[in-house]
Amino acid sequence: MNKGTIVLFFWVICGGVFGQSSLDSLQQLDEVIVRADRNLKQFSNTQHVNVLNDSTIKKSKSSLTDLLNFNSLIYFKENGLGMVSSPAFRGTTAQQTAVVWNGININSQFNGQTDFNAINTLNFNEISVRSGGGSVLYGSGAIGGTIHLDNTTEFNKGFDTNVMVRYGSFNTADMDFKSHFSNERLIADISANYTFSDNDYKYVDSERRNSNGEFYNVGISARFGYKINSKNTLSYYGNIYDGERHFSLILPSETKTKYRDFNTRQLLEWNGIYNRFLSTLKVAYLTENYRYYGNINSESYTYGEAKTLIGKYQLGFRPFQDAYLEAVADINHTIGEGSSIAESERTITGFSILFKHQIDKFLYEATLRKEITNTYESPVLMSLGLQYKFAPNYTLHINGSRNFRIPTYNDLYWAGSGNLDLKPESSYQLELGNTLLFENLSFSVIGFYNDITDMIRWLPDGSVWRPDNTKEVVTYGVETRAGYEKTFGQHQFKIFANYGYTVSEDQTTNKQLIYVPYHKASGALNYRYKRLSVYWQTMFAGEVFLLSDNNPRYVLDGYLINNLGIEYHFKTLLLGTQVHNIFNENYQSMANRYMPGIHYNFYINFNF
Amino acid sequence: MKYLLKFLTVFLSVGMFVTSCSDDDDFNGGTPLGDYENGILVSGEGSLLSGSVAFVSVDLTTVETDIYAAVNGEDLGNYLQSIGFEGNKAYIVVDNTNTITVVNRYTFEKIATITSGLSMPRHIDFEDGKGYVSNWGDPFDPTDDFVAVINLSTNTVETTISVGNGPEQVLEENGKVYVSHKGAYSMNNIISVIDIATHDVSSIEVADNPDEMFINDAGQLVVLSEGASLYDDDWNYIGSTPGAITKINTTTNTVISSISLEGTYVGLMAYEDGKLYYINNNAVYVMNDSATSLPTTPIITLSAGYAYGLSVDDNRLFVCDASFTGLSTLYVYSLATNSEIATFEVGQGASKVYFN
Repeated sequence: MNKGTIVLFFWVICGGVFGQSSLDSLQQLDEVIVRADRNLKQFSNTQHVNVLNDSTIKKSKSSLTDLLNFNSLIYFKENGLGMVSSPAFRGTTAQQTAVVWNGININSQFNGQTDFNAINTLNFNEISVRSGGGSVLYGSGAIGGTIHLDNTTEFNKGFDTNVMVRYGSFNTADMDFKSHFSNERLIADISANYTFSDNDYKYVDSERRNSNGEFYNVGISARFGYKINSKNTLSYYGNIYDGERHFSLILPSETKTKYRDFNTRQLLEWNGIYNRFLSTLKVAYLTENYRYYGNINSESYTYGEAKTLIGKYQLGFRPFQDAYLEAVADINHTIGEGSSIAESERTITGFSILFKHQIDKFLYEATLRKEITNTYESPVLMSLGLQYKFAPNYTLHINGSRNFRIPTYNDLYWAGSGNLDLKPESSYQLELGNTLLFENLSFSVIGFYNDITDMIRWLPDGSVWRPDNTKEVVTYGVETRAGYEKTFGQHQFKIFANYGYTVSEDQTTNKQLIYVPYHKASGALNYRYKRLSVYWQTMFAGEVFLLSDNNPRYVLDGYLINNLGIEYHFKTLLLGTQVHNIFNENYQSMANRYMPGIHYNFYINFNF
Repeated sequence: MKYLLKFLTVFLSVGMFVTSCSDDDDFNGGTPLGDYENGILVSGEGSLLSGSVAFVSVDLTTVETDIYAAVNGEDLGNYLQSIGFEGNKAYIVVDNTNTITVVNRYTFEKIATITSGLSMPRHIDFEDGKGYVSNWGDPFDPTDDFVAVINLSTNTVETTISVGNGPEQVLEENGKVYVSHKGAYSMNNIISVIDIATHDVSSIEVADNPDEMFINDAGQLVVLSEGASLYDDDWNYIGSTPGAITKINTTTNTVISSISLEGTYVGLMAYEDGKLYYINNNAVYVMNDSATSLPTTPIITLSAGYAYGLSVDDNRLFVCDASFTGLSTLYVYSLATNSEIATFEVGQGASKVYFN
């Protein structure tokens, strides 16, 4: 392990705002940071990846929605603070964003999406946003982009424990405990967190309050690694999430409801490095379980329960200098059932080939995947990316890919409605990116085009609604990102700004999809002087249409939200406070779902 | 000035109501009772948007898509199931909010909201100062369904009458309240008969999932049963039971006759002047009171994408083409020529058409 590699990693991990992580080159085989999802770095040279590290994660609220709203160009529609939240990534639907836990796609088997308010960010120490297609690597739903929830760690770091407590408005609290031990051969990481909120905020400019919005969630994560010898390593990753949310009411006379999520994820991995070969065997077991209580005073509920067992073998090989080839075979078996879904099994077998090659200033990467399953015909998935460094400061990349979103359990098996003739949704996309990188300044512009066909939608058919493959949507747009970092003596500045323009057009009606804004921007300014830091976060989401006919009378206004935080660092102690929505903006990201005005929290972080 | 106008409107409305007959006459001697006096009201259930009521003028020249919000500056909530009319008041039933909003039917100004004692309310009818409202309770619980009795002078639920699973439409006739049981989230096959004097409940068995009802010119209760989808223990769809159009004698409360809808799905029905209209396979059929079998040729072929509401009035037929992602369309057909004469943009999830 040379020093250069370490610096390189520092650059990639901490320099998330600098976007293009193209410098990682081909150092893969002897990485210092241990991660389950190696290919996130290995095969993302021609796409934009923004890595959010632990300190960025802790500067946001503990929901994945809040973190990504202020740090990415993804638009979120939330049914009120902490309630069901779904993304529109590059103008796509909620099912066209894949959420990936330590390399494994965890979108729901039932509705094909992840609720971004049912993911607590404190469970993870690194969260990455990878823009654009990724179905070869990450499977169904990797069309708009993928969100990566990772637990990365290192050998030989000794003992380290971190405790954070945060408390604020609406009786909201986060408690987080993380403990790490590692020596030359062993890694043991354990973390636990507990979040709760009364969530009874008063609406801005109204006497009404958010009612029945309380929630809590508990997360436990564990990570163990054991170096059997210099060539073989065994790793275990585990995560349990248990959460309950009452669903807030639009009108106070509505019947109160609640929702429970209980999800477990486990992964066992055996890694071997044998000369030019890198062998990885993985076994993963995921469970998902939801219960919806239509009346909180009643014991009756509807539910869905799925268990997934995944086996995966990856064999990497370095055929010659600066080239990397990987063959992957995997099998994925799911058993699911629910209140309206008979127990159904699904087995998907997949084969992939991945190749990357760097020739001086030119790099290309190509991937190919084919899945075989009994329930539907799966398309050949592929990607091809080219990168050329025209100058030390300027890199150009092109990436084209074919991606898909498979029919969900609800689409296929819903009693009386499910359609076994559905095909997967299919997407062809192309992006062109320019990156300028200077000592303190980075700037990138990416244009993308995405044609999504065979989109599944539910339409009335006599007395029932049934899904079919009739919709086609084209999305295209431009993303620009700028970052600047400078130190003057004791003063440190870091600033970033993102802006995205997105068109997402239904090809039958030529109308913009509902709840997809044309404009979204986010940014942050961090300033540190000795032990004091001040940070400001901002986010703008443009107007969205509420109706599919884009009727101008039914729109939600755009909104600009600003947060301010101050931290003071003692040796092992950090004290901080945050003011959210400092200008008390009255906004909604879903119609009639009012979000809170100005609110506060305080936090303490011990490290020992 | 605005308040003065509102006051005058209300004052005049009340005055006119007291002095004129309480019939739903289209003509009242020239003084308007309100902006929405002469015309057609279309209720929309809502979905992405709140439930709403649209107004179309009787001469089919103007439309206003959300008159309740325009007048009162607030939303009705989801999902607006139905509207009942009594005197100069309209009672707007919204199930998910567990409310009935009482408005002046001609001005649409809010008078009161009934917020307690209702649980998934569906439909309302009236008799002798009381409103009778079907309620599902918890839609998954087949044992907690009831009809709420509302005192119309205090707008409060006075008492409840327990009924079978999934009560839907409510119709008062001859001192009895007839309740069709569509079965909420499951299925049912009865018409409950509530004796208004004693609150005793009896039932009449009909084909599965009865929904719409009317009293025909012969004084018989006509019920449309839609039929039910069937599933095995593993939730596999294994077919459906036939619906029926059933005539019931309202003196003896027994079935007179029934026309089976075997192999034909009918979910919408309307009636005027001895003629029953229904929609099957996106076409309108008509049959006389005396008919004993279904007609074979339709009178109108619809262009609606999702026919979700049907009404007939004054020799005109109205069909709601419901959209749950955009606004819906109201199609108006002349029954003199069986041709389309107008279309209007109405509220989201448009499902019922009423005549003011």
